[in-house]
Amino acid sequence: MEVLKIEKLHKYFGKLHVLRGIDLSVNRGEVVSVIGPSGSGKSTLLRCVDHLETAERGSIEIAGSFLAKADAEGKSVYPSAAEIQQIATSIGMVFQNFNLFPHRSVLENLIEAPVYVKKLSKDEATEKALALLARVGLSDKKDSYPGQLSGGQQQRVAIARALAMEPELMLFDEPTSALDPELIGEVLRVIKDLAKEHITMLIVTHEMNFAAEISDRVIFMDEGQIIAEGDPHGILQNPDNPRIQTFLHKIIDRE
Amino acid sequence: MGAGVTLQVFAVTLVFSIPIGILCAIGKLSRFRVVRFLISIYTWVFRGTPLLLQLFFTYYGLAILTNGAISLEPLPAALLTFVFNYAAYFTEIFRAGIQSIGRGQYEASKALGMPHWLMMRRIILPQAVKIILPPMGNEAINLIKDTALCSVITITEILRNAQKVMSRDFNITALVIAACIYLALTFIVILLFRRLEKRFAYYSIK
Ligand SMILES: Nc1ncnc2c1ncn2[C@@H]1O[C@H](COP(=O)(O)OP(=O)(O)OP(=O)(O)O)[C@@H](O)[C@H]1O
Ligand SMILES: [Mg+2]
Repeated sequence: MEVLKIEKLHKYFGKLHVLRGIDLSVNRGEVVSVIGPSGSGKSTLLRCVDHLETAERGSIEIAGSFLAKADAEGKSVYPSAAEIQQIATSIGMVFQNFNLFPHRSVLENLIEAPVYVKKLSKDEATEKALALLARVGLSDKKDSYPGQLSGGQQQRVAIARALAMEPELMLFDEPTSALDPELIGEVLRVIKDLAKEHITMLIVTHEMNFAAEISDRVIFMDEGQIIAEGDPHGILQNPDNPRIQTFLHKIIDRE
Repeated sequence: MGAGVTLQVFAVTLVFSIPIGILCAIGKLSRFRVVRFLISIYTWVFRGTPLLLQLFFTYYGLAILTNGAISLEPLPAALLTFVFNYAAYFTEIFRAGIQSIGRGQYEASKALGMPHWLMMRRIILPQAVKIILPPMGNEAINLIKDTALCSVITITEILRNAQKVMSRDFNITALVIAACIYLALTFIVILLFRRLEKRFAYYSIK
């Protein structure tokens, strides 16, 4: 069953044609990684799925609801703000820069949306939040403020905050690129655990070994299009596409 | 000593101008161009002309303009002018405070499905408060001193009182006492804001 279904998606920034006809489906429980050179539109794709950007053409269907529906001419039509917010609650987004709420404690970060958006009782939300903090290994930090945590810890809190809404789909946009090298491992470990629990995930990453290890499928994007798609072995270890080869060589050179 | 009137003008102005300032700031950042334009005109007029002129206008000018149909007592005229004058300054302070909150906070709120007002109330404004406290403290001190302007529309506040006593007794004791009262009041305001700033310093924005 498809949790995410994108068809013929186009996105422009002014004249810049950033997404040029994306077709992508993600099944329940599937882990899909998106790789590709800088500026190829990976972030923009995730941001369209979470309605942080508005697409011009094509459709986006999330767990059976249309975030954007293509009309007869293919133009994207969006529902009301309330419906969009409803759909947004079924997607969890993890940002490169964490974006925790600095004026709220770790626990408050986790219960904010469940209490005020989903209208859970504070007790119920707190109970769930504590379980999530245990899952990401930060039970002892529940009363800390984000500013008191390391980057790796902040990102784990951000993952827990997104999970607290019990989303159908988790989106990660380069979750470790803002981290010091020694902190990357702890965040990747948390994401690996989620993969084992079959949380549906769409992950943009430059960590090729990580992508190879956890993905059911890898997608290679270039210039706003999906150039190749397949199992991690085929895409990452034995790419026959020269553009992927060039890209992978560049990454290896950098490391 | 007239301190009562001074305090009254001070308190009423703060109580009313802060909420008006918040609303205008949000309006000025909204996507409605007409709203933004009208608020810009408002803040321009009130920040761009002397408070003294505005006082004269509401007290004398309105009455002349309307042939006496609208003729305010001195105190209401002063309160009205002060509230709208200070709300204009607060609008700009709040706007700058809200704008200083990074895009990531909006995106995280949106990604969690928060409606706009919930996001403003729970995420953006509380963070903006921390940033605007120092300029707010400045404005509060200015306000204490600006209340002296009320004397020009016949309100007997601290300064006008002192002036009367001074010309009666022909010495400056009253003037010194007035200065001491202003200093005491500003000192209280400074302490108050210092405590507020401490309360909001428990977290640090990165
Ligand atoms: N808000 C925006 N306004 C204008 N152009 C934008 C905007 N956001 C992104 N772009 C442009 O769109 C293109 C795709 O950007 P995007 O961030 O999606 O790339 P990316 O694949 O995520 O790259 P990276 O690996 O560097 O994160 C780039 O050329 C970028 O400059
Ligand atoms: Mg990106």
